[in-house]
Amino acid sequence: MRYSDPQLIEHLASTYVLGTLAGGARRRFERLLRDRADLQLAVAEWDARLGALGQTVPPRAAPSRVWATIDARTRPLSVAAAPARPAPLGWFKPAGFSLGGLAAGLLAASALFVLMPGLFITADRAAMLTGQRLPQSYVGLLTDAQGNGKLLVSSLRHGTAMTVKVIGPITAPAQGRLVLWAVPAAGPAFVLGPVPLTGSATSELPGTSEKLLSKVQKLVVTVEADAAPTAPGAVVFSGNCAKLW
Amino acid sequence: MSLDSLTLQQLIERTAQGDHACFAQVYSRTQAHLFGVALRMLGREQAAEDVLQEAFVSIWKNAGSYRSHVNGQPVQPMTWLMAIVRNKSLDALRQRTRRAESQLPDDDALDDQPGAASAPSALDLLGEATRALHIEACLGGLDGSHRQSLALAYYQGLSHSEVAQQMGAPLGSVKAWIRRGLDKLKTCLAARGVAA
Repeated sequence: MRYSDPQLIEHLASTYVLGTLAGGARRRFERLLRDRADLQLAVAEWDARLGALGQTVPPRAAPSRVWATIDARTRPLSVAAAPARPAPLGWFKPAGFSLGGLAAGLLAASALFVLMPGLFITADRAAMLTGQRLPQSYVGLLTDAQGNGKLLVSSLRHGTAMTVKVIGPITAPAQGRLVLWAVPAAGPAFVLGPVPLTGSATSELPGTSEKLLSKVQKLVVTVEADAAPTAPGAVVFSGNCAKLW
Repeated sequence: MSLDSLTLQQLIERTAQGDHACFAQVYSRTQAHLFGVALRMLGREQAAEDVLQEAFVSIWKNAGSYRSHVNGQPVQPMTWLMAIVRNKSLDALRQRTRRAESQLPDDDALDDQPGAASAPSALDLLGEATRALHIEACLGGLDGSHRQSLALAYYQGLSHSEVAQQMGAPLGSVKAWIRRGLDKLKTCLAARGVAA
């Protein structure tokens, strides 16, 4: 089954979120979902459509033992292992021992990781990590005028979804909103999508990134008051757009 | 800044950076709601506890994958958290079904199903959701069978064949009702600016 047909993607995403996509089809879809931004986008849209239905289910407090187990399974080692009241002189000894153990463990794990990466990650990921294969994508790192990293923009080569991740603090403009533009080597700049102030955002591109970005060298973010600006205003962040393959 | 003053979105972002106190705050703010959803789908307290536990371990590991916006539309953090809990609940339901299928059929098995005899309350919930969402026209515009099949699938995690069994309808009809119901809902919500 091919997963490039937009109607099929829509059908799979809707039944995945509803829960009726089951068995092998659900597992295949979940595997693809990890790496395909277009599927992630379709699922997020269906989550938004159907998610509000769940808000009406009556709340019910979970027993305290549930958090106790979650806490034990997630608490970072440094916090969990810290003694509540350390003995005056003896603290460094167990700490030293456990650090030594940790270091030895890390060393052994690193060695194993280098020798047998397949134990830790899939062959596909291993190939990507060792540089044999990278997901073909367009990426851009945007900085402010002082060179501080602000945004990471990425889109798979043949995908139609773009992810914008905030990597440095962004101050909201006093007026208007932040808009991401693509600036081709020749021709007018065009809007790629909105820019979040925190976290990361995914938006749909009007075409595949290959079609839109193959001749784009630069990305800029401007402050725009107009809902549909036609030309970029004052630039606040900028960066190069690179092909990754 | 005290944790109380942070929004759920900010708490999730800090959780992604490894802040365990923020993670604990995410849990305390949302657990009752999410436990309610898991319990509603699974019908058994122990199973719902297990699901909530697995969901929050997953949230701790994957908080970085939360997207605050999709296609320019904000994604409510609660929607994201609920999707994780629903997926874990569906996994648990399917596992239960697989286990049940591998055992001999039991005369009382049907009475044990969480959704048995509770179809009306699933519809009641849908009624509340309709009002809460201000999309009366959208859900109200669906045929009764479309609406009921969507409610059974969404609130009780029933599969196509389980919905067919509950409604006493042919499997093919249920599949078509769900598909058409989803299509109509999408078109109607798009016209109202929801996840167009």
